[in-house]
Order: sequence, then C-alpha cells, then structure tokens
Amino acid sequence: MGRTGAPELLPGTLDLLILRTLVAGQMHGYGIAQRLRQVSDEVLQVGESSLYPALQRLLLNGWVKAAWGASENNRRARYYTLTAAGRKQLASERAEFARVVGAIEKVLKMA
Amino acid sequence: MSRDVHTSLLRVWRRIVFRWRRTELDHELAEELEFHLALKQQASGELGHTQMGNMTIAAEECRDMWSFLKLERLLQDIRYATRMFRRTPGFTAIAVLSLAVGIGGNAAMFTLVNILLVRPLPYRQPDRLFRITGIFPRAAVPFFQQQTRTMDVAAVSPGSEYNLTGQGEAIRIFGSVTSANTFSVLGASVARGRSFEPGEDSPGRDSVVILSNSLWRTKFGGDPAAIGRVIALNGVDRQIVGIMPPGFSYPSAQVQAWVPMRFDPSNFLEYWAGGFMPLLARLRTGVTMPEAQLEIQPIIGEFRKTFPYPMARDWNRDSAAIPLQRDLTGDIRGKLIILLCSVGLVLLIACANVASLLLSRATTRRKEIALRVALGAIRLRIVRQLLTESVLLALAGGGLGILLGTGALSIFKSLLPSSTPGLAQASIDWPVAAAVAGLALITGLAFGIAPALSASQIDLAQSIRTGSQRSTAAFWTRLRGGLIGAEVALTVVLVVSAGLLIKSLYTLSEVHPGFRPQQILTVRISPNPSFCTQRPACIALYDRLLEGARGVSGAADAAIANTVPLDAEQPDLAVDVEGHPKSVDHPAPMLWSGAISASYIRMLQIPLLAGRDLTETDGAKSAAVLLISASTAKHFWPGENPIGKHIKAAGERQWRTIVGVVGDVRQYSLSKAMPDWIPGAIYMPYAQAVREDGQVPAAMTLLVKVRSNTDGPAREIRSLAQDQDPNVPVGQVQPLEEVVAGSIANFRATIRVFISFAAAAILLAAIGIYGLVSYWVTQRSYEIGLRVAIGATRNRILSMVLTQGLRVALYGIAAGVIGALAVTRFLASLLYGVGAADPLTFAAVTALVLVVATTATAFPAWRASRIDPIRSLRVD
Repeated sequence: MGRTGAPELLPGTLDLLILRTLVAGQMHGYGIAQRLRQVSDEVLQVGESSLYPALQRLLLNGWVKAAWGASENNRRARYYTLTAAGRKQLASERAEFARVVGAIEKVLKMA
Repeated sequence: MSRDVHTSLLRVWRRIVFRWRRTELDHELAEELEFHLALKQQASGELGHTQMGNMTIAAEECRDMWSFLKLERLLQDIRYATRMFRRTPGFTAIAVLSLAVGIGGNAAMFTLVNILLVRPLPYRQPDRLFRITGIFPRAAVPFFQQQTRTMDVAAVSPGSEYNLTGQGEAIRIFGSVTSANTFSVLGASVARGRSFEPGEDSPGRDSVVILSNSLWRTKFGGDPAAIGRVIALNGVDRQIVGIMPPGFSYPSAQVQAWVPMRFDPSNFLEYWAGGFMPLLARLRTGVTMPEAQLEIQPIIGEFRKTFPYPMARDWNRDSAAIPLQRDLTGDIRGKLIILLCSVGLVLLIACANVASLLLSRATTRRKEIALRVALGAIRLRIVRQLLTESVLLALAGGGLGILLGTGALSIFKSLLPSSTPGLAQASIDWPVAAAVAGLALITGLAFGIAPALSASQIDLAQSIRTGSQRSTAAFWTRLRGGLIGAEVALTVVLVVSAGLLIKSLYTLSEVHPGFRPQQILTVRISPNPSFCTQRPACIALYDRLLEGARGVSGAADAAIANTVPLDAEQPDLAVDVEGHPKSVDHPAPMLWSGAISASYIRMLQIPLLAGRDLTETDGAKSAAVLLISASTAKHFWPGENPIGKHIKAAGERQWRTIVGVVGDVRQYSLSKAMPDWIPGAIYMPYAQAVREDGQVPAAMTLLVKVRSNTDGPAREIRSLAQDQDPNVPVGQVQPLEEVVAGSIANFRATIRVFISFAAAAILLAAIGIYGLVSYWVTQRSYEIGLRVAIGATRNRILSMVLTQGLRVALYGIAAGVIGALAVTRFLASLLYGVGAADPLTFAAVTALVLVVATTATAFPAWRASRIDPIRSLRVD
C-alpha cells in the first residue's frame, strides 16, 4: 500500500472509505479515487493497485454492485452502487471504526 | 455472526460463478483499468513505469481476489503433477501398478482379518462366550448344568449329513444337533418363528427343527408359511419352528438345520458313547473367566466317576475354557497371518520401489528444480509440489488397489474353509476402504518425503552451471542402494516361500495314492439309516444298482464302497483284535473301516499283497471275512503272517477272519494316509459290513469304470440311481480323478497366491535394480566418458557397472536368505515332503534372483559401455 506514497491506512479502512464515498450515489473507480483525494485534502491518495482489488472484494461480498454505463466523456465506464447489504456493513464498520479510533485516542491522550 | 457466515457463503458462491466468467471478467477489468489510466493521463499528462506496473499489480490482485488461492495452488500442483505423469507414462504406470498390487492385497487381507479375527462375534456380549475344550458325551451336558455356578452350558455338535424328504426332491443337507438352550446361551435370536423352548431336548418333545435362511430360501422359496410345516430328516418327522437370520453361522457356515439334542439316559449308546462334542458356555453375570476356569477340572473329575464304563484317568485332563472367537478361527489364524505378512511384504517392496524411482527422478529433475528456485520458488513450495506428486501416485494406486482388492478378496476367501463362520459375508467395507485410503496417504508421504527433501537441497549455482547430473548426493544414493537391497531381500523371502510350497505340491502330485483313479466315475447314494435297519432290503438295493450300472453303455465294471479315497469321509470303527486284549492303557483301537463290493479292490487296482481278494461268494450268509491293509498287518502282526487271524467290531460276538492283505491307500489326504489315531484299514464285504451301531452302512458310493470320461455314461448312471427310489438322495456324478484333485485344490490355490506374490516381488525388484543402475550410469556418464577417453575398454566399463548392480543384489540376497531361514519355519504346517530350510530350494531361489538381477543390470551396463566419450564430455 505504501507504493502510492499515501499514508498507510488501517486494515479494512479502505473498504469503509469506499463504501462511505458511494453513499452519495453511483461512481466509477477513477471517480472514487478522485473523490477520496479531494475530500481528504490530498492526504489520501489511493492507488489503483489497492483500489481495484478492494472493489473486487466488495463485489464478492455483495456490498456493492457494478454496472456499465456511459461516462462524462462518453466512454464506457463501470459504475459502482452501494447495495442494502453494503449500507448495513457501512453502519456496522463505522461504529467499529469509531470504537477503535476512540480507543487509540485514549491511549494517545494518556498522561 | 450469521451475517458473516452468510457473507462468506456468498463470497464462495460468487467465486464459483466468477470461474465460469473468467475471460469476460478479465476483459472488463482491462477495460476498466484502461479507462482509469486514460483519465489519469488526461489529468496529469504524465506517463511512467510505476503507473504501468501498478496497473499490472492491480489486475493480478483482482484476479487473486476472484479465485480460491490455496485451492488454485493445489490444483496447479496437481495439474503440474499430471503433466509430469503424462510425460513419463512408463514411470507412472509402474509406480501406480506396484502400489495398486500392494494396496489391493492389503485391502483384501485387512477385510478378512477384520471380519474373522478382530470384529466381535455377532452375538450378545460375545466376550463372555467360550468353549470348553475336549470332547464330551451328551451325559456331560446336564451334569455340567447341575454342577456349575459360574456358567450357562450348552452343547452343539459339529454337524453331520441328513436326508431331507417330504419337500420336493429328496436332498442331502448338513445339520447340527444342539441342546435346547444353545440359542439363548449364544444370545442369537431367530429371524422368524421361535427358538427352541426349554425342555425340547427331552425325548418325545424333540421333533422340531430350525432352518438356516439359505435352506429356507432355496427349498421353501422363502415362504413364511414354511413355519409349522412338517419335514422328514433321516426319516424322522420334524416340525419347522423357526428360521435363523441370514449370516448366522454357528457352529459353521455349512450348517443348514438345527435339531434338538435329545437327552435320554435310557438310550445308553446315544447318551454315553455316541457323538462326542465340545461344550459351549457363557459366563454368568459377575463371574470372571478365571473363576469359570477353576471350576472346569473339578467338574470333569466328578463327571468321570459317573461313567457306566471305566474311563481313562487322564480323560479330558487338559480341558480348559478358551474364548469362542479364538476357537472358531483357530485353524485359519496361522494361515491368515502368513498371508497378511506376505501381502505386507509386497506392499513394502512396492513402496521401496516407488521411493527409489522417485528419488532417481528427483535427481534427474535437479536442473528444472534449480531453475524454479532461481525464479523465486521457495523450498516449501517445491517440497509441496513433489509431495503432491507422490500422494497423487499413492491415491491413484489406492483407488486401483481397492478394485484389485475386491478381486483378491474372492481369491483369498477360496483359500479358507468355506464353512468358516462369517466368511461368506466378507466384503470390502467402509472402515477397510478408509484404512486403505489412509495407508495410501501414509505410503505416499513416506515414499515422497525422502526424494522431496533430497531434491530441494540443491546447490543453486552449481546445478544450473553444470546441469548437475554429476553433483553428488552420496547420502541419497546410498539410501537408494539400501532400499533396493532391502527390496531384493524381501523378494528372496517371498520367492523362497513360494519355492518351498511349489516343491511340496510337486512332491504331493508325485505321491502314489495307492490306487488308480483314472476312468472311474463316482456318485453318492444316501438312503435313510432307518431304511437299512432291514439289512436285506439295503443289500438288495445295492445289488440292483451294481447290476444296472454294469449294463450302462460304455461301462466296463462297477463297484460300491462306503467311502472312496480322499472324499473327506471318515468311517472309523472301534475294533477288537485277536491277541491284543484291551486294557485301561490300551483302549479299543480305531481302524478305517471299508464296506466294499467284491469288485472294488480289482477296479481301483489296489495291489493284493497276500492271501485272496473278496469274491461274490462272500455274501450275507457265508463265513465272515475281511481284508486288511499293509499298515494294519504291520501294526498288529509285525513279522507274522496275518492271514487266518481274526478281527471284529467292538461289542460284536462273531470274529471275522482275515483272508487277504492289500496295499495302503491314501484315504485321508494325499499327504497323510490316515489320521494319527488310526493305524490302518480293514475292508469288509458289503453284505457282511457293520457300523458302530451294528447296522449295515446306508450311504454308499457307486463307482463305475468307464471306457471314456464322457457325459453320456454319467447321465445314465445318475438317472439309474434316481430311478431306484425317489426318497433316496443321489449326489452329482464326479470322476474319481476330480475327487483326488479336489482334495488338494485348496493347497493348489494357496500356492497360486504365493506364486503371484513372489512373481510380483521379483518383477518389482528387477525394476528397482534396473532403475538404480540406469540412474547410476546417467549420473556417471561424464566419468565413464572420461574413462573411455583415457583408454578403458568397453568390457572394463561393462564389468564396472555390473559390479555396481550386483553388489546391491548380493547384499540383498544374503540378507534375504538369512531372513527366509528365520521365517520359513512358520510355513511348516503348509509344507509336505520338504524341510523349511531345504538347501535345494534356497540355492535355486538364490540363482534365480541372481539371474534376474544380472539381467536387470545388463541393460544399463550395456548402455554404459556404448557411451560415446566425445558426446558425454561435451554435453555440459
């Protein structure tokens, strides 16, 4: 993951970020990467070698669906959509993430 | 939690679906990535190596995501292995076949051992059942039942033949006499109807019978209404009360009917003197075997005093309780274990062979393996690949082995007496198949581990540089030599065993049986004993038969006899011999007692040694006469003329005069003229003959001398016999030669199995030696080339390689001879006329194995002598 020069993500975090990104609506792979970069103020630069395997994993788990559609520049692109199962997964992963982050904060704030 | 399970199931399912859409998915992914790249280029306007690399990694990781990685890798190993096997079909066939032979034989033997020796008897609490050894008269049964406080005692006779009439054609069946409590003591219940009730063994209430399932099916068509019907057994009417379940086989699988044993103290002969048999018992609850053991001898001591006639002081002195299972398998235990050991040896040889083949292949594959290591394969991965190959070989061998095993099982079964309880039901079942699969896996891992380790220990640089057929792995080469040596040793043991048995068979077939069986047809005719209470009726029946048989077209002569040699009948008779008074130390001698027509001795060409033969005039009313065999004469009158001396059946009033002495005949078996307790034979004219009970023998064999062994006379003879009386069962017509051959059929079959074991072993050993030497030659081709180049002659090279191969063979043979000397004595019970350490056999086997080893070495040696130094030196 270090290959893109982006900071190391906690394991599983990328899945969570992608799911969260897709809440806004369907998006193609490049779009997801762009969006993550913009929203994180250029901090999270997700490389394709992490992004596409992660998308495949989500597809396999049934959390996202993929469909071909026309892109802004009229090329064929694969768009990903959040499924109901994906939404549920997002909710539970978010809670879990908050718990872990909270725990890490506590450790860091320790006197 | 359930959601996780759900998700992972979905994942598995999608992966399976993805497998089918592989190409499509690949295309889609490529397009998607291309699209991504295009957008990215547009955004930044730059193109670099890293990004291209990223794309490849992305595609690869996506593909991994779709697949079951571990499974894929295994499949890949398997695919790779099968490709290797396809490329070397000879190697693969030899390896799989050798394993199949070893594993198949073992599967069959496991099955038999499991069923006969390991699996508990199919009765309630079988470990509490035992047999009291020794034999007892009927009177002992009630006596034991009254005296014992530790066991429930029953009695079962081994069985005898009965005529079954009153139900279609009269047939001969095998029945056992049992005390009424037998089935409850055994803990076996009937499948239909009822068991014997208490008291059904007392006189007047005993006219009942229980049938075996097979008799019920064949004779009554499995009709449930058979219960309650009345049939006649030996002319006595009995009501069928029950049918046993299929597979019930006590006291033996031969028994088709069980009739109650009658306990009638008023019938002196039956109660005290007839049909001695072993006792069957079950420990009562809370009693241990040693407690019962302690009770047996005191009860026997008490019982001996109640005999109405003097009984030897040491009668049944060594009677003891032995577990029923051991009793039932006593005779075949040794044979089974011998077979199990030899089959185990074959498997060991097969494993050694396959291991050595794999070792040599691993060496020739060094370069390939080194290349894979160089390309980044880790050692574990290579070991796993090689182990996959050997396990795959073992599993293929195991699968084929189970098929072979079913065939082998039926052959092994034919080696054991068919009356063995439970034998007929033996078939390869799941536990055995599982054991075989386990065996296959273990052998696979065992013979795979050494080659795998040897191959993975590769000095990379050297292997790639030289192609490394020369790199020396001395340890593995020595191991291989050791394996082949051991293989040769095991082979020698098996071949010596086979050799000893073959020599026994040869000796047996050269034995002169004392008569000429050629061109004689026999047929058994068995009227009810009750039919012969009227002696004249019986004598007249056989006179008519003899006369009729002489009239059959193609018949030269005819005779009758109560037994023919080697037909497994045992007509022994207690006799009084003139000048040899009986005493407590010398009870009445038993003699083999023939009842024959005057033509019998002449027809079988039994030599007349002294006196005269029987004649037609020795009839019912003339003076009582008999012939004796040479050994009878020698036993009672050594150095004296026995003609004119007298013998009579024990208890008879009238002496019979000896008129002639005839040659000894192998009556009992080809290897043994008579059982140990019978010193010789007598022959009485049929019209004057008696059995123990004073009656004339009822069941007789008609012998007809024919000019040729064709079907015509056989059919005519049988219908002639059947026409006499529809109530008299008539057996199948059988040439006497077949009876003689049949008496050693079992032995022949045993030998065939040993020969096939030995042949398999010797073939495997030859392949092993061949493989070893060819490998050695390949490995040394550089060195050999060098030797030739500096002037070694072809003969020098030839002898160098031959020495190499023969050294291993000689070590193996030496070890094998020592091993064979140690183990062949366990074969002693199967041998005839040859010692377990027969020097001739050992020498012949040594020579044979040496010749095979030399031949196997000669091919690679010849190839070595043809090595072209220029080519072999330039190759690397």
